Amino acid sequence: MKKLISLLYKDYLLLIRDVAGLCLMFLMPIALVFLMTFLQNDIIGKVNEAEISVIMLNLDNDILGNSIEKHISESESFVLTKSKNSENELRIAVARGNYMIGIVVPENASDSIRLNAKRAVQKGFKGEKYESKDSVTIHILIDPTLKTSFRNTLMSTMKEYSAKTERDFLLQELLAALNQSFPFMLGTIQLDGNQVNFDVQYALKDENAAVPNATQHNVPAWTLFAIFFISLSLSVGLINERKDGSFKRLLALPCTYFQYLLSKSILFLFVCLLQFALLFALGIYLFPHLGLPKLLLGDNAWLLLPMCICSSLAAIGFGIFIGKITTDHQQAAVLAALSVVIFAAIGGIWIPVFTMPEIMKIISKISPLNWGLNGFYNILIRNGTLMDILPECAYSLGFAVVCMGIALGYNRRRKI
Amino acid sequence: MSEIIIQVNNVNKTYRGSYTPALRNFSIEVREGEIFGLLGPNGAGKSTLLNILSGLLTFDTGNISICGRNMPQQLNEIKPLIGVVPQEIALYPTLTAVENLKIFGGIYGIISKELKQRMDNLLNYFGLEQSKNRQIKTYSGGMKRRINLIAGLLHQPKVLFLDEPTVSVDVQSKTLILDNLKEINAQGTTIIYTSHFMEEAEMLCSRVAFMDEGKLLCKDTPQNLIQNTNCPNLESLYLKLTGKTLRD
Repeated sequence: MKKLISLLYKDYLLLIRDVAGLCLMFLMPIALVFLMTFLQNDIIGKVNEAEISVIMLNLDNDILGNSIEKHISESESFVLTKSKNSENELRIAVARGNYMIGIVVPENASDSIRLNAKRAVQKGFKGEKYESKDSVTIHILIDPTLKTSFRNTLMSTMKEYSAKTERDFLLQELLAALNQSFPFMLGTIQLDGNQVNFDVQYALKDENAAVPNATQHNVPAWTLFAIFFISLSLSVGLINERKDGSFKRLLALPCTYFQYLLSKSILFLFVCLLQFALLFALGIYLFPHLGLPKLLLGDNAWLLLPMCICSSLAAIGFGIFIGKITTDHQQAAVLAALSVVIFAAIGGIWIPVFTMPEIMKIISKISPLNWGLNGFYNILIRNGTLMDILPECAYSLGFAVVCMGIALGYNRRRKI
Repeated sequence: MSEIIIQVNNVNKTYRGSYTPALRNFSIEVREGEIFGLLGPNGAGKSTLLNILSGLLTFDTGNISICGRNMPQQLNEIKPLIGVVPQEIALYPTLTAVENLKIFGGIYGIISKELKQRMDNLLNYFGLEQSKNRQIKTYSGGMKRRINLIAGLLHQPKVLFLDEPTVSVDVQSKTLILDNLKEINAQGTTIIYTSHFMEEAEMLCSRVAFMDEGKLLCKDTPQNLIQNTNCPNLESLYLKLTGKTLRD
């Protein structure tokens, strides 16, 4: 035990004297989690909030034009500006990027639809088929940078209200024609348009589970990234000890290679838990004060600890593996940093896995960061149980055992 | 005559991937209380032999016993009995002298009070008392050599392995190191020592062994070797035995 305490004391001193390494382990992930959450929260905000600027020239000033104007101004997706200029000036304003969308509803558009409806009813009552004439064209000008999804949203809105206007006119004309034939006056025939309601919600395993948002993704994602980034400090530390000869002295002392690795593993596990506690605390206590969503831990928050320990051990095993197979600092630093970045990229830390092509979804399953992230998602978003995170814990522990096994085997072959 | 403390019999060692053996049927015995010098050019196999005796390397064939215990079977019992001072400064440069010594003493299982007393004595003995709380990286070459030596002596080993302990140090540090080594030896520690300084070996060692290309060339007291070969000193004998060809 005294040996292990002495080794831990040594590793602790080496860690706290490495200021650059400490910054990398703690400041970098804090900066990343803030930056990425702010960025992604803003993007999500733009989709949900009224951010798409629309300029509209309503030359119709009748039911069709006013109806479209009313519904666009009431929509949460658009900010409407009414124009009094000409169509050409409106086109220039959109081309300059002052507005994302320009809409021109032509003069007498409602009258044309009304007239067509009247003709259709008259022909219909005579048992003839009506060929539509004088159709109305609404001009829509779109900024080239506008996303297709926003354009589709606008088109849906426009089509919905123009179709409604057509139906309303048709009904009015039909009623008028019926009133001429009937001995008494018919009342208004209309539904309020709310007969079918839509209930949209996230598919969660239970209703207490947190709704996915930028915080629920970024805090666990960047915590995992930070945890795996310790492999850089760990591997470079191992190389340092080999290069300065202190490792040689330790092996000549009554101390085994296993004890040497155990001490490092205990200390770096503590570092990983500290990173986890720090970043999760930021998500819970600081983010809400900065206008970001609060991190919600779900009903089984205690499961975060075993999941974090398993991911940390995978990271430690990986760091030891890199430190053993490389021969100098540069090799270790480049290999550790590069592989963690690649593991993060394919593991869904930056871009969620579900947005990736099929082949990348398959490849993502080999990333230890992906196992960790899935485990955290199971706890934080899906309110999963211990059984739900067992596969991810097992993969991570298996990875740690394989990495450390290779390092131990390599050490038996080549001690110094 | 004192007892044999180190027995090396027909030891062979070839590094993985190499066709040339680093040690070929190498045999020596060292008696308790000796200062035994291993001399030879670069690549002769001196450091390989010291690394094997320290338990840092395995050997292919042969037998080795230290303090009556066989290697590698009883390595765990041998380790507390030996002290190793590698050629490189095998200490943590960002840690102070005291921190380094506390760690190594702790691994040997020395209790805190005893450890502090031994540390103070050795630091004082090697003239490092004033700078004990400075990081090793701030030390001069001579100071680093001395603290490197202290780290190998902290647990009061029966046998001390020294790999070129006076390389790159000034005359003052060298004199202090050699004087202290003689005194430590006088207190009962057996010393196995490698060096390229023949004059130093002649002055310090009770016996020396010349080796080259992994083979033992000859062994005896420096005086007997000089007398029997009609050489004026060990350096002449060294050149006579190993030639003047560069060994880079």
